[in-house]
Amino acid sequence: MEEALLRIRDITKNFGGLHAVDGVSIDVGTESTVGLVGPNGSGKTTLFNVIFGLHRADHGSVYFNDERIDHLAPHQVFAKGMANAFQLPRLFHQLTTLDNMLLAARNHKGDSLLNSLFLRTGWQHQEEEFAEKAMEILELLELAHLNLSLAGELSGGQRKLLEIGRALMADPVLLLLDEPASGVNPILGRKIFEKIEHFRQKGTSFFIIEHRLEILMEFANWIYVMDKGKIVIDGKPEEVVNSPTFYDVYMGEE
Amino acid sequence: MDPLIYILDLVVFIGIFAIVALSLNLEYGFTGLGNFGKVAFFLIGAYTYALLIETGLSFVLCLIIAALLSGLIGSLISLPALRLREDYLAIVTLAFGEIIRIVVKAEHWIAHGVWGISVPPAIFWQGASFRMIIVTHIGLIFLCLLICFILVQLLTNSPYGRIIRAIREDEIAAATLGKNRLEYKAQVFMMGSAIAGLGGALFAQYIGYIEPYMFLPMLTFTVWIMVLLGGPANNWGVLLGATLVQLFDRGTKMVKDYLFVPVDPNNLQYILLGILIIFILLYRPGGLLKESQVKTKALEKAAQWKRHS
Amino acid sequence: MNWAQVLFNSCVTGSLYLISAVGLTLTYGLSRFPNFAHAEFMALGAYVGYWVTEQLGLGFPFTFIAAFLASGVLGFLSYKGIFQPLAKRGATIIHLMIASIALGFIVRHSIGEIWSWAPLFFRVAWSSFDVGMLRVTDIWLWLILAAVATGVIMHFLLVKTKIGKAIRATSSNPELALASGININRVTLTTWFTGAALAGIAGLFRAAGTRLSPLLGWDILLPTFAVTILGGIGSFYGAIAAAFIIGLIENVGVVILVNLGLSTEYRMAIAFGILILTLLIRPQGLTRMFRGT
Repeated sequence: MEEALLRIRDITKNFGGLHAVDGVSIDVGTESTVGLVGPNGSGKTTLFNVIFGLHRADHGSVYFNDERIDHLAPHQVFAKGMANAFQLPRLFHQLTTLDNMLLAARNHKGDSLLNSLFLRTGWQHQEEEFAEKAMEILELLELAHLNLSLAGELSGGQRKLLEIGRALMADPVLLLLDEPASGVNPILGRKIFEKIEHFRQKGTSFFIIEHRLEILMEFANWIYVMDKGKIVIDGKPEEVVNSPTFYDVYMGEE
Repeated sequence: MDPLIYILDLVVFIGIFAIVALSLNLEYGFTGLGNFGKVAFFLIGAYTYALLIETGLSFVLCLIIAALLSGLIGSLISLPALRLREDYLAIVTLAFGEIIRIVVKAEHWIAHGVWGISVPPAIFWQGASFRMIIVTHIGLIFLCLLICFILVQLLTNSPYGRIIRAIREDEIAAATLGKNRLEYKAQVFMMGSAIAGLGGALFAQYIGYIEPYMFLPMLTFTVWIMVLLGGPANNWGVLLGATLVQLFDRGTKMVKDYLFVPVDPNNLQYILLGILIIFILLYRPGGLLKESQVKTKALEKAAQWKRHS
Repeated sequence: MNWAQVLFNSCVTGSLYLISAVGLTLTYGLSRFPNFAHAEFMALGAYVGYWVTEQLGLGFPFTFIAAFLASGVLGFLSYKGIFQPLAKRGATIIHLMIASIALGFIVRHSIGEIWSWAPLFFRVAWSSFDVGMLRVTDIWLWLILAAVATGVIMHFLLVKTKIGKAIRATSSNPELALASGININRVTLTTWFTGAALAGIAGLFRAAGTRLSPLLGWDILLPTFAVTILGGIGSFYGAIAAAFIIGLIENVGVVILVNLGLSTEYRMAIAFGILILTLLIRPQGLTRMFRGT
């Protein structure tokens, strides 16, 4: 069995006296979609923040492609091949949809100070290529007609899509999605997951926090259930959903 | 006084301050850095030029070194300062500006402290008329302004420009997209400081004599008003802002010489300016000109797509 | 080395900073932006006091009341007319700071217009007397007394009265305060009035002990910021401690400067230095030490 793409080992994160994440271990393999479910406040988003370097774990380690990444800053984690989409989209409202997409482009020559000033032909060419790629993704997400609109002018659902589109633009090996279908109607939600499946088949892995189990049932290879900071059960979607532990976790929420 | 001299003098100051305002626009308008210590780098540029020109170096070299030194010091300050949140950054930069001024004032051996230091003009034509002298200054200053303007326009209309805008809007999101925000902020601060230093050097050689009381926080605030009025993140707006504020500033001085006003125009000027700023902040915080968008080949591609769809 | 004198001077400086900084720390903590017009709250108090004493010829109690009220009203109107509307429109911290600078222009130059920019002096002659090695001028004794009074009264206000408790609650957790039914608007307006009024008193003392100029507020503004930040923004007790710490460091510092042969211009730089160091090393200031309340 090959080593998993993302290996989370015994991660613990405390806030004050609260164990937001308590000894969590997770594996995400290549070309797979792994779901993370659990009641509100179970620590899922905090775990994502730790993986991406937004929080420093108090204990434990995270390995990506066999490299230890838990001490890296977010921009370094990105450079290793990950990308993320926040639950509440963090778009750049004063920039256009296209600009938002272009910001995710990897290894853009124009990103450096000297190049942007002096080697303009080099990166102008890249700008065109990246623009084409961005437009392809935007078309897939049915946002292409809004390419020159300011991100601040988009509707809630459109912003959600753009947030994901931007993450896809980064050509990541692993994409962390925090509730990609929340706040959008079920039809659109399903469409989002269809696109996710499309990209998974092209080689991207997905680690997704999601509330809607029906969708994960259809699209996920593996599900982890988290409650009060701990992983309580994991396995294939049908197994997990039918287990009594799972029932306890969600019924206990009432 | 010859009215033409007033106008030429006004044009010179527009040029000098436009340069400094462009630097603040880069830092604040595009990157969101609230630098309230602009005058510090203006001072460093001015005094560096003043001291260097005495050694006999060519004025071009003096201008360049003044800019470079300001940029270097800006870099050093930025390392600790840019990690601070915006109000702390503002206070620290303000305090830094005052400390520098106090040091120059107290350490007489640097530049004669309060007695000031005289600065010869960069370009000097023997026997030229007063008007011609000022026109020569205008030529030099506006050439520098042109260079700075092109530099800032190129930078902000590039992927780099896109990134600094993103950092301004949401640092964390920018970081998760792979941007090293401290690096970008530090670079911008360095460039902004260098450009402000250039402005200071040009100021020194025009005015002919500098002393610490010319470098008060008021100068920083004046530049801020230029950026806010003209429109943050719009370089043309900043030129407009610089023009309007200088017009207002020097205009009232001209009025004093030609008209009789019951109120001291100097006081009235600042009172009106204060009211104007509050109005802008309340009713038009984006300034006169809208924020400019990133213009690269990508924009063309997108527009093309729109036409064909 | 007259240590007694240095200590006394430190108390004087500390007292001035205390009265000035209490207002600033409370408004900064509550409204979450540094108000540069605080300098003009101080200046206005001084000039109104001057007007009442020198131009109207009334006695000192009136001077204090006038300075207190004038600055208080200015603070109240500043918040209600400028900062609150701006905050409602989503103004950023920087916008609010710039608005406060603009307000400062307006007030400072109005003062300059009405009373001119030439330095003015209170005609009263302060008497000095010696207590052993100590040279004491009575205005400074009044200042220290005023600082003690401020400390005691404010403490009583913050701890025992309803509005005081509301101020503390809102300062530390605005959302919770709102949820508990506290009238945030009233709390904020009261804080701005009181903070500005105290600044007016500080300005009055400064002017009485030295001289009046429209820039008198700016002379002590940055040290006031240093005290606010060292004490921890929003912390009343922190401001008290910081005021005397900085007062002491400044006055000892002056002695050291003189002994080292350095210019006393650097006196101001001492406060700025403390300010910068605090922000870089421990931006929350001394606050955690007062987390008992």
